[in-house]
Amino acid sequence: MFKSEQYKMIAVSIIAAATLLTSGQAKDIESSAYNGLWNAQKDISGGVYYPIKNGQTGPYKVNTQAFKDSDVSKNITGVKAASNHGRVPTANEIKAWDKDINGLNEGLPEGTGYVDEGEALYESQCMMCHGDFGSGGAGYPALSAGKAKEIKRTLTNNRWLNPTAEGPSRVFGSYWPVASTMWWYIRDAMPHTKSKTLTDDEVYSLTAYMLYINGMKVDGEIVNETFKLNKEKFLQIQMPNRNGFVPDIDGVNGLENVRKFYTNPDNYGAIRLKKGEEPCMSNCQQTDNIVRVDGGITDFNPPISVERNLPVKKESASYKVSFDVKAAYEASCTMCHATGVAPAAKDKAGWAPFMEKGLAKIYKNGLEGTNMGMPAKGGSSLSDEEFKQVVDYMLKF
Amino acid sequence: MAQNKETNSTISRRDFFKKATAASVSAIAAASVIDPVKALASEDDHAIMHHPKWGQSWGDPVTKNLYGIPSAYEHNNTRRYTGLLASGNFRASIAVTPIHESEGIITPNGLFFSRCHGGTAHIDPNEFRLMINGLVDKEIVLTLDQLKKYPRVTRTHFIECPANGGQEWRRPQYNSLQFAKGFMACAAWTGVYIKTILEDLGIKPEAKWMLAEGSDNSEMGRSVPIDKVLDDAMLVWGQNGEALRPEQGYPVRLLLPGWEGNLCVKWLKRLEFSNEPWYAKEETSKYTALQPTGKAIQHFYANEVNSTVVSPSPEKDWKHLEDGDVIEIEGLAWSGMGTITRVDLSFDGGNNYVNAHIKGEVLPKCWTRWSYMHTYKKGETLLLTSRAMDDAGFIQPTVDQEVFGNGVAKANYGKDKTKGMGVESVYHRNAVETWEVTPNGEVNHVQIRTV
Repeated sequence: MFKSEQYKMIAVSIIAAATLLTSGQAKDIESSAYNGLWNAQKDISGGVYYPIKNGQTGPYKVNTQAFKDSDVSKNITGVKAASNHGRVPTANEIKAWDKDINGLNEGLPEGTGYVDEGEALYESQCMMCHGDFGSGGAGYPALSAGKAKEIKRTLTNNRWLNPTAEGPSRVFGSYWPVASTMWWYIRDAMPHTKSKTLTDDEVYSLTAYMLYINGMKVDGEIVNETFKLNKEKFLQIQMPNRNGFVPDIDGVNGLENVRKFYTNPDNYGAIRLKKGEEPCMSNCQQTDNIVRVDGGITDFNPPISVERNLPVKKESASYKVSFDVKAAYEASCTMCHATGVAPAAKDKAGWAPFMEKGLAKIYKNGLEGTNMGMPAKGGSSLSDEEFKQVVDYMLKF
Repeated sequence: MAQNKETNSTISRRDFFKKATAASVSAIAAASVIDPVKALASEDDHAIMHHPKWGQSWGDPVTKNLYGIPSAYEHNNTRRYTGLLASGNFRASIAVTPIHESEGIITPNGLFFSRCHGGTAHIDPNEFRLMINGLVDKEIVLTLDQLKKYPRVTRTHFIECPANGGQEWRRPQYNSLQFAKGFMACAAWTGVYIKTILEDLGIKPEAKWMLAEGSDNSEMGRSVPIDKVLDDAMLVWGQNGEALRPEQGYPVRLLLPGWEGNLCVKWLKRLEFSNEPWYAKEETSKYTALQPTGKAIQHFYANEVNSTVVSPSPEKDWKHLEDGDVIEIEGLAWSGMGTITRVDLSFDGGNNYVNAHIKGEVLPKCWTRWSYMHTYKKGETLLLTSRAMDDAGFIQPTVDQEVFGNGVAKANYGKDKTKGMGVESVYHRNAVETWEVTPNGEVNHVQIRTV
C-alpha cells in the first residue's frame, strides 16, 4: 500500500503550485482559448495531468478492476490492488547492483589514486578517443579546455548576435556541477570499448588526472603531477560551476523548485497564451529576412532518395566474397591508427617494433585486444579471418 | 455524385475514341500484350497494356520470410545517420526516422529512431532482471515473465530526442525533413504503469526521486521525479504489437510519456528510490540547456509543443505539380505537455495564418496529423510555416521569440540576457519550422528571422 505520507507530500506540492497559480501569474496559466480539453491541473513539467476518472484516462479506457479513480491532489493514484509478483533480492544482489553515487557523494567507495598513475592509464586507454590532455577528437567529447575557472567564463558566450564569435566551452572543469558524475561514469561506462574493467583505485587515479588537466584546486591545494586523491579529499572537491544550473533540484524543496520553475514559460523559452487570448493570425511578423542553409550538413547515409526501385546489389552481395579490407580499416581502425595513437597502415617505421615480435603476436593482440588500449578486433564485428586480412592490409608496406 | 459519374463517363468515352484512332496507326505485336488489344498507342500506359511478370508466374510460397520484411522497392525508406552526429565509431550516436515517408501516427519498428551511448545492447531475456530498491517498504527483483504478470496497458506516445532540431539554433543546417525533425518517432507501447508495481512495494514518504539505470555498455542513468512515476510512467516491453526492438531497449525500457527520449532509459535493469536526485552524466554534461545568462536548465523534462509540414518537404517536393492541382499539405504536430488542440498554417513564413484541420486520432503526448487543401499555382513561391497549440495552453514560438525572448522588442534583442534561450542551449528547440517552395516546386529548409 502507498504510505499516506507520500500522498500528503504530493498534496502539499499541488497546493503550493495552486497557490502560485492564483497569485501573480494566474491570468497567464489558468485557462486558454481552447476549451474542452483544457485541464487546470498541471504536472511537474508544466504540462497537463490526465487523471483516471470513471474508468478512463484522457481518451483511453482502463480496466476498472485494476484501476479506480486517481487524483493526485486528493492522494489517490488510482491503483486498485497489490499483485505481489517477484521476490525480495538478497543482500549480495543489492550490493552488486546498487552502486550509484549521487550528488552528495553517497555511495562513493574508499580508494586512492594519483595524478601520474591516472596519466599513464589515460594515455593507454583513453587518449585514443579523448585526445591529448582531454582535448577531444574523433568525435568523442573533450574533457578539458584549460583552467576550469577561466573556461567557466565562456559559459556566458552566446552567438545570438554574432554567429562567428567564440561559443561556450562545456567541459568537465568548466561546466559539470559535481565531481561524483565523473567518478561514477568512468567506473561504469569507461573505457568505451571495455567498460567496467577499472579498479576503484584506477578510477580515483583517472579522476585525479581529470582534476589536473582542468587546472583545479581541491581544498586550496593545486592539483599537480604528484597529487593524491582519496575519498576524504574527493568530498572536498568544489566544482566551479556548482551553482550554474536551474532549477535547484537538491534538498527537501527540490521538487517544489522544479514545479515552480515550469509554471513560468519565460524561464524556458516557451509561450503560454493568456485566458481568452487568440494567437496572432494576420500581420504577425516581418518575414523578409529568410535565412537559408549555408553549406550545412549533407553527409547523409545512405544518401537521401525517395525513389522506389530495387537496391543496387553490389555491396551486400559481394561483401563476403571479396571482403573490402580498406573499408573495414577505415571504419574500425583509423580512429587510433590514423590519429597518431597507434601506427597507421603502411607505416613501416611505426610498425617496426611490433614486427620484431612476429606476425602471430600482432594477430593475437589484435584479435584479443591489449591493455595498452587496443580493443579486441578494434571494436569491430569482423570475423577472425576478416580481421587478419585487415592486419595484412595494414602491414603491406 | 451523379454529376461526377456523367463527367467521368464523358472523359472515358473521349479517351476511347482517341485511343481507337491511335491504335490503328501504331500496332505492336507482343506475346505479353493483353488480348484482344493488339495495337498500342504511344500514350497507352505500358504498365496497363502488358501482363506484368508477377501476374504470369508463381509468387513466393507462404513459407518464405516467415517474419515479413518490406518490399525490396522500399529500401530508401530507412533510418539514416551522419558522421557529424557521431562519436567515433557510431556507438554513441543517432540514426534518425524518415518522417517524410511516415504514414499516420505509428512509426514501424524498424524505422524508429535509434540513439545509444555505448552501442545497441543485445540482452538475453532469460537473464533480464529488474531490481527495485531504495526507499520502498519492500525491495524486489522481477524476471521478465513476472513483470508481464501485472495488468498491462497500451498507450500511443511519441518519443523525441530533446536535441531534435538542436543543430539549428543559429541557422538551418539540414535541407532535409528527416534530419531536421527526425530525432523522434511514435509507437503504441505496451507495459505496466510503475505505480501498479509500487502498490506492491509501498513507497516511503521521503522518496522523491527515482533513478532508472540501464544495463548497457554506458549504464545509462537518469533521475525522475516521483510525480511522474506515480502519474503515467510505464515500464514497456511491447512496441506496436511485438517485443521492443533491441534499439529501443529490448526487453524493457522506461517510458515517460512526453518527456525527453533520453529519460526513457533503455535496457533497463534497476529502479532506485531516494530523497535526493542523482547527477548522472546525461543529466549534467549533456541534456542541459545553457542560457545567455550562463546558467543552464537542468531536469528539462517535457518536449514542448511542436509541429512541422511533412508534405511537401525537401525530400517530397512539388516539382511534379501542374497549375491548378488540388494538393493536400500534410503535417505532424506533437506536444509532450498534453494534447494538440489546434494547428495554424502560414503561406508567407508566419506573417498571416489560416486554421489547418486536425485529422485522425487525437491523443495526449502523441503525434497528431493535420492537413490543409491547397490549389497549386504554377510558379508560386510559398513559405510554409505551421504553428501548433496544446491543451496546456502552449503555442510554438517564432524563431526570434524563442531565441531573444517573448515580447522583447527587436531593438532590445540580445541586450537583456535574462530573456530568451539564446542560441547555445542545444536542447528543446521548438520554434516554428518553415519550408520555402520555389517557383519550380523545389522545397528548401529556411528560417524566418528579423536579425
